[in-house]
Amino acid sequence: MNINKRKIKDVLLITIEESEANLSKSEQFKELMLQEINLGERQLIVSFAHVDYVDSSFLGALVATLKSLLPLNGKLVLIEMNADIENLFQLTRLDKIFTVKNTLETALTEF
Amino acid sequence: MNNSFPIILELETPQHPDEIFSFTKMVLAKILNYKILNIAHQQKIKMILVELITNSIKHSADHSSQIKLVIDKPSLSIQKFEKGLQIEFSASQQIPFEEIDKILKISFSEENMHHIQPLDSYRFKFLNPHKEGFDIEHMPEHFGFYIITIASDSFIYQYDPEAKENRYIVHLDI
Repeated sequence: MNINKRKIKDVLLITIEESEANLSKSEQFKELMLQEINLGERQLIVSFAHVDYVDSSFLGALVATLKSLLPLNGKLVLIEMNADIENLFQLTRLDKIFTVKNTLETALTEF
Repeated sequence: MNNSFPIILELETPQHPDEIFSFTKMVLAKILNYKILNIAHQQKIKMILVELITNSIKHSADHSSQIKLVIDKPSLSIQKFEKGLQIEFSASQQIPFEEIDKILKISFSEENMHHIQPLDSYRFKFLNPHKEGFDIEHMPEHFGFYIITIASDSFIYQYDPEAKENRYIVHLDI
């Protein structure tokens, strides 16, 4: 799975460089995220700027990441979702569980 | 749009996750040939198709399934047919159900819980999970059936023991 990592002070920005965040990438994404957490990252932003759609498997990977991060007092912010992905988060009420922001700039003010 | 309803379309589903999204866009375009839909309905149809097909790829023995669309006024039925063994729960209660109409709490793994209502021995309806509240501790990591349930107006599972066929029947008021 293709991702791009960029450190902005204490925040790690992970940009998903795939158009389809689905079953074929979810397990690898989860492992990548848990690996970053194990390496000490606590402030994470995930950008969906290049993603067309997200399926339930990938949502599961995001939930697993958040569940690992919260007991460590970490924070995860999701940014740059298209209308379909935003709608999926609203419908599943995951928008009440995750911090979702439109832009990197507004996401950075969360930390 | 001068069509005589219902319109019935039958399609083979893709067998690789990376083909799912283009398939759902193609199916949606076919539906839009017969029926004008608002954006919310279009988004729900895409979500339902993605999750129905993802479920087949994850769980069906040969990953194959067929989708049947029944486009009518004012409803859309999305039906998925898949050969194989019946669905099994991580609980003592299994199909065929002995008690009908009693709401059951079942799961397909340790983490996910669904409320279902048996309609007959081999058929049940998924009930809307929102009544239970929502927090990260009880958040499942398997969302497929949950998404289909909340995106649809009705989601029914049916098993045909003679044909050894699983049927997932989703209904949307459009």
